[in-house]
Amino acid sequence: MRILCAGHERMSEYPANPYGFPVDRGVLHRRIRERGLLAGAVGLGVVGLATVHLSLYGAEPWDPVVIGGIALAAFLVVHGALCASGSEADEIMLPIAAALSAIGFVMIYRLRPEYLVRQAAWTALGLTALLIILAIPHDLRWVRRYAYLCAAIGLALLAITVIAGVERNGARQWLLLGGVAVEPGEIVKLLLVAFFAGVLTEQRGTLMLPGRRRWRAELGRLGPMLLCCLGALLLLVFQHDLGLAMLYYGIFMVMLYIATGRMDYVAIGLAAFVSGAALCYLWFGHVRVRVDVWVDPWADASGGGYQILQGLYALATGGILGTGLGAGHPTLMPASYTDMIFPAIGEELGAVGTFCVTALYLILVGRMFRTAMLARGAFEALMAAGLATALGLQAFVILGGSTRLIPLTGIPAPFLTYGGSAAVANFIALALLLGVSARTAGRRHQVEALRGAADR
Amino acid sequence: MARRTGKAGRLLAGLFVVLLAYLAGVQVVWGPQLANTPQNPRLAIAAEQTRWGRILDRHLAVLADSAVRGGLQARRYVDGPLYANLLGYRSSRYGLDGLEARYDPELLGLPAADPWETLLEAFGRPRRGNDLVLTIDAVVQQAAAQALGSGRGAVVALDPRSGAVLALVSRPTFDPASVDTRWLALARDPASPLFDRATSGQYPPGSSFKPIVLAAALASGRATRQTMVDCASSISVDGASITNFEHEEYGRMSVARAFAMSCNVAFVHLGLATGADSIIRMARAFGLGRAPGFDVPAAAGHLPDPRTLNRRGLAQISFGQGNLLVTPLQMAIVAAAIANHGVAMRPFALLQVRAPDGRVLAAYAQHGGRDVVPPEVASAIASDMADVVRFGTGTAAQLPGVAVAGKTGTAENPHGPADAWFISFAPADHPTVAVAVLLENAGVGGQVAAPAARQVLAAALRAQAAEAGRP
Repeated sequence: MRILCAGHERMSEYPANPYGFPVDRGVLHRRIRERGLLAGAVGLGVVGLATVHLSLYGAEPWDPVVIGGIALAAFLVVHGALCASGSEADEIMLPIAAALSAIGFVMIYRLRPEYLVRQAAWTALGLTALLIILAIPHDLRWVRRYAYLCAAIGLALLAITVIAGVERNGARQWLLLGGVAVEPGEIVKLLLVAFFAGVLTEQRGTLMLPGRRRWRAELGRLGPMLLCCLGALLLLVFQHDLGLAMLYYGIFMVMLYIATGRMDYVAIGLAAFVSGAALCYLWFGHVRVRVDVWVDPWADASGGGYQILQGLYALATGGILGTGLGAGHPTLMPASYTDMIFPAIGEELGAVGTFCVTALYLILVGRMFRTAMLARGAFEALMAAGLATALGLQAFVILGGSTRLIPLTGIPAPFLTYGGSAAVANFIALALLLGVSARTAGRRHQVEALRGAADR
Repeated sequence: MARRTGKAGRLLAGLFVVLLAYLAGVQVVWGPQLANTPQNPRLAIAAEQTRWGRILDRHLAVLADSAVRGGLQARRYVDGPLYANLLGYRSSRYGLDGLEARYDPELLGLPAADPWETLLEAFGRPRRGNDLVLTIDAVVQQAAAQALGSGRGAVVALDPRSGAVLALVSRPTFDPASVDTRWLALARDPASPLFDRATSGQYPPGSSFKPIVLAAALASGRATRQTMVDCASSISVDGASITNFEHEEYGRMSVARAFAMSCNVAFVHLGLATGADSIIRMARAFGLGRAPGFDVPAAAGHLPDPRTLNRRGLAQISFGQGNLLVTPLQMAIVAAAIANHGVAMRPFALLQVRAPDGRVLAAYAQHGGRDVVPPEVASAIASDMADVVRFGTGTAAQLPGVAVAGKTGTAENPHGPADAWFISFAPADHPTVAVAVLLENAGVGGQVAAPAARQVLAAALRAQAAEAGRP
């Protein structure tokens, strides 16, 4: 893809720009490619929704399909906005988000038809947030000033959830706001990334200095982050939300490594993770249940192991081609439309479906990290890398968890799973990444950055 | 920093590649196996929505089909009690047993689902399972049941060339359609009709074990068929007195003749000369002491450890008594291995899996075999077994125009009268059928089991001739 792109740019470097806004023909090609991919994603969603409707709800009104289609078409509006502003933003990330949303819509309609309209509304809200953020003319450096505020708000949100939150499916991770359940953990994820990026940008110079290490001084510099991280983890453990705890910790470790390149931190971090996990296993019953069920789901096949076993049976029943939409029994799985949506895809769309979804995430991860590599300025680069880690790791934790590759912890798969807060948070993250990619200058800068990365 | 960002990105991308490989394993490689685990609730749903496949004999005569009454599907067994031990039952309350259990996924049409079928089902056509074509020949099965009469026992008939099971009968039996209503009575019946004596009944083999002792002696070179042995009326080994059946006294005779006359004393001499190691190793090679790997669960029987066997114990197993247990299926394999030039074919009961439209989805001609004894040893034993029927203890198995080979057994057991055995094959020179008959507490093998085997052999040979005559 990149070779193709570079070819276009080389051909089109010199002709005059007839469009009035600062855009070369390479950029134009980007938007054209984006349009094609988006049309494919939206078409996929509409055809999928219609298939589900015809096979399962033929007698009922078509309203949900129409509403779902309209929400998907909103992606084209975003595309229009990008065209109109002559944005040089990455052309792959938005269509992938659209494709994942489309697959998510189809599966939600198949598994919990009454939730489709709600998910469509959340997606529309998320896209609105995305448009608003894209409209901000500045780069992200202003966020840096509010790094500590981000941390404070994030921890406060988590603390409020512990105190005033409501419990659903064994995890106390929901806040009721005017009748709508929101999951603050998803927004906190973004706030933490901003905080880590801010502090690390400030400190990385001194942390990376060669020479004798002064542990006390370093601890002082890392202190706020460690405290924040520890606080968040404690709050999450109390909420029984292990998935988010793992995610936050993973983001912290990856960002720390990217900012400082210090392998000793990584080693200490991994050791801390292992010992922390072992302590959690010993101290907390719900952690032990999760791990035991992962090691041997058959030991408690009708109890703790039920969900994960049903997931495995669903995947196995799907085989290569799947049973077809509406022809399987994915609703035998508890939480099929949230945590277990990936095995549900595996049952009805087969390995073809799960491979496609995994490949979409794989490409998304590639594009997000590419954006981070090309970003200008340490803060934006770190911010982008953090967001990329957040989305990628989150996808892996739930995809791997629901298939028993790793212990199952319930967090939403980005863009795919039913869930409003996650949708909004992930579209905000996508908007920030699109913004970063748009601000990376033209070809010369990219080539330099890539070559520099290879040399260093 | 860009370099490290790239590293981190590659690490994360690597996780997704691992996930892809794992998914390929779960969904493609182990998928079918995992999907057909009985705990998968989709199987029960499929069983409700599927017309179960039929079970047919080798000539496609229907042994089991199903009928829908009042929206509920019920299994119909043609001649149910005759096949109950092999086919098992399909009960909503007590689950599945026998071939019904073993091939449930096939009967529900679960593996290798035809995409076209899937499409038609999506449009509301009831799903149909696949049919099983068994190796069983209904005519031979019928003859075997008649030969057993009202006694307790079992008959196994094999094609020695392939290992295909032609008949597998166990008596007493039960009606598989009555399992739901009569379960407790069946389970508590002291005659244990639910117990498949053919594959799981374990009995001392008695003199029907002598072919194995003979094979060990010949293969180890300790004796030839012409070696002279003493057949006095009794012998004392370490203080234990062993006598011939009804105390016959023959004097010195050749090994071959001692086999035909089933002389215990001569075989004690032969066994002591051959040694426990050789005999037990030979018995193991013939498949005794381990489960034969059949379509339905089959017992392993028991062989003593040669290291723990003293001379007395060795003397006892030399004529098939002592610490030995075998199943009728295992003894049929012994006869079949001798008949098949020393190669024991693995027994099997499933010939084909057929789609509802008759297409053959899977066909099995054989499941491989293993060399037990060299062909020349096998043919020596075969001709000695032919002598048993020609002028020895098994004359009651003679058939007009066909040479039959066999070996009688009268196994003493602590639970009453002796168990009668007869293992046999025919025609003796180029065998096409091997039969093992066991009659519990019925008396002398040559008098009760041999005539029963004769009927089964006759029926099987007739059936094979008729099959060869077909286009």
